Amino acid sequence: MVDRQKRIGKLISGSLLSGLEAKLSEDVNVEDISVGRLVVVDGKENKFFCLLKDVSLQATNEDILLNPPSDDFAKQVHAGINTFYKLSIQPMLVMPQNPMEDDRPRPSTTVPPHFSNVCEATEKDVSLIFGKPDKNSPEIGSPIFMDVPVCLNLEKFCKRSNAIFGKSGSGKSVLTRMVLGYLIKSDLAVNLIFDMHGEYGWSATNESTGIDDPSLRQLLGSKVAIFTVDGDSPLYRRVRPDYDVQIPYSAIEIADLELAAGELGLTQAGIETMYRMSDKWGEEKWLSRFLEMDTDDFPAVVEDLKVNEQALGKLHRCLIRLKKLPFIRKEVADDTVERIMGEIQAGRHIVFQFGRYNSMLAYILVANILTRRLHKLYIDKTDFARAEGIEGPKPLIITIEEAHKFLDPQVARQTTFGTIAREMRKYNMVLLLIDQRPSGIDDEVLSQVGTRIVGELGDERDINAVLTGLPNQGTLKILINNLEPRQFLLTGFALPMPVVIDAKNYSSFCDEVSIGSGIILDAVKQKKVFDDLNTKVYGDDQIIFD
Amino acid sequence: MTDRIGEVIQVYTTRFLAQSDNLLNPPYFGSFVRAESQGMSIYGLVFNVYETSIDPNRRAMAFGIEREELLKQQPQIAEFLKVEFEAAVIGFNDAGRIRAYLPPFPPRIHSFVYPCSKQEVLDLTEDLEFIRSINSLPGLPVEELVAASIRLAYRERGSDRNFLVRAGQEIAQLLKDEYEKARSIIRRISDGR
Ligand SMILES: Nc1ncnc2c1ncn2[C@@H]1O[C@H](COP(=O)(O)OP(=O)(O)O)[C@@H](O)[C@H]1O
Ligand SMILES: [Mg+2]
Repeated sequence: MVDRQKRIGKLISGSLLSGLEAKLSEDVNVEDISVGRLVVVDGKENKFFCLLKDVSLQATNEDILLNPPSDDFAKQVHAGINTFYKLSIQPMLVMPQNPMEDDRPRPSTTVPPHFSNVCEATEKDVSLIFGKPDKNSPEIGSPIFMDVPVCLNLEKFCKRSNAIFGKSGSGKSVLTRMVLGYLIKSDLAVNLIFDMHGEYGWSATNESTGIDDPSLRQLLGSKVAIFTVDGDSPLYRRVRPDYDVQIPYSAIEIADLELAAGELGLTQAGIETMYRMSDKWGEEKWLSRFLEMDTDDFPAVVEDLKVNEQALGKLHRCLIRLKKLPFIRKEVADDTVERIMGEIQAGRHIVFQFGRYNSMLAYILVANILTRRLHKLYIDKTDFARAEGIEGPKPLIITIEEAHKFLDPQVARQTTFGTIAREMRKYNMVLLLIDQRPSGIDDEVLSQVGTRIVGELGDERDINAVLTGLPNQGTLKILINNLEPRQFLLTGFALPMPVVIDAKNYSSFCDEVSIGSGIILDAVKQKKVFDDLNTKVYGDDQIIFD
Repeated sequence: MTDRIGEVIQVYTTRFLAQSDNLLNPPYFGSFVRAESQGMSIYGLVFNVYETSIDPNRRAMAFGIEREELLKQQPQIAEFLKVEFEAAVIGFNDAGRIRAYLPPFPPRIHSFVYPCSKQEVLDLTEDLEFIRSINSLPGLPVEELVAASIRLAYRERGSDRNFLVRAGQEIAQLLKDEYEKARSIIRRISDGR
């Protein structure tokens, strides 16, 4: 790309609030213009960096619409005079035309003068805004239609809870993997990843090739520890997990079960019954005691707790499902949370996997139980550190998939995840929410999200949800509506201005972060050679067997 | 000069009337002409050509014979006919520079009229300002005149499409509020391609 500005129009009207409008130059083909692009308005003393948010057909004359020109010559002649194209652009940042050494782009507080030139952003403009890639601000993609890095400022990213949204197939898992990989590489925070679908450990299936891509453990080696509740899973044929963990019944609180009420089929009466049992039999004992009972024991319980026998039977049938999760035991050898804490203090990053037990029930219970206890530990350690004036625990980022399960408006106020999201970084703990249904997440939580990475979303409600609390929602909405798979809108704290990117190619990411084990690079290259060979032999056509 | 085509017989600031030198080759509608007067060239665009009896009180009569044949049989008839043409003033030559606006005074009566050279047509039409002049004069067949003169200038330019587009845009711009008028001129010039 040449670093010369291409003029695409002239500013004609608008306001800072509602956005600017420019007339498209006649020598630019409107079909080459697309929403989401970065454009620059050349003011007198400042450059205004803007987002192209809309293109529209305009006529200066009603008559031409009633009686349109018929031949190409007439169309050409009227173009730009009786008909023209209007570009709607949203000013975001401003920067002096001749910046001093330490001038940085800052939010624009006024508009450029009439008829200022509107140009396509150049590589230089983009790197001025998004910086140059380095360890703490890695490149995660490039602006659509441009081949320039867009960098994510990880130092800022770590300071808030963040979210990656997108419908299934939008590329969010791959992007999440890249973001996590860079975070791990930077060591700015420790990561705990609840890996529901087994994509963040050793390898992850690439849906387009069907071949396994290397994942975090393979790329980053011993920086990453794998915990699993299913040590016998075929997932670990090649590499053993570091820790095979169990959860004792005593660790399960009623609130955990309430969160999984839908999955367990619990009713309100059942929940009340649980509280009765807990009161009578002890918080840590009631569950294992209840699960060991059978129907013969119920009359005594009914007598004892003054509960309805039918309700009790139903509750028992619901909770007995926990027995299908073999990692939940009466007694366990050691304390998982202590182990996780130990790893965290040692600076290792944790991928927590579920193997074959990747049901929503198992996932919700485990993620919630562990996070609650970790959060308590973190609060204690942080408070202690503050009191003693020493360094607190390492900042921790907890990644959760299906975030809405933990943060829907009904439960977000009570769950640990809701608390963490709301208290921001007070106790050195933030969340990375991964979700395909952001509309299921509580508004208050959404508005606390620092940086949003938004991929393709189909549902209007989801789009509205991800915009909660953001400025320029109209513009952003248009941009989201135009996203394709593997394109993301990035907006928020870690970015100087919103931008739509093509996500970085995963294999270049692998080449970049890999700890250098030749085998992996070889595998990636080999796959490429294989792919190339495939295309040579079979052409680009994909054969799909249903 | 040998290529003289007429002589000015009546003048106004914005137009002049000339009598054609001969009956056989009157100037075309929409053609560019030059009147030489007081050392200045004044340019006009022919917008009306008519043939009439020389006696204002007498009209020509119908003979029922084809014109060519009639003139052969009765050559004296030609003596009683004349061709006159009217031109709208669109510019002048001031010390070697062509100005596409009205001269301070019109050509004087009895000035001679010549056809414009190719170069003059190119110079006069380059900035398309003449379209505006024509459009602002009352009583002209503006649509036809603009189209005819543009077609001519287009041919003089070796059928340069860019010129045609530019002219079309000028018309569209000038007649922004009269879309139908613009449309009819544009249709006429695009036909000429
Ligand atoms: N950045 C990328 N580089 C290479 N391939 C990608 C990238 N993003 C997505 N893909 C392809 O698209 C597929 C689906 O992406 P994924 O992240 O699993 O979607 P989601 O998690 O949103 O359902 C991946 O398996 C991979 O083949
Ligand atoms: Mg996924």
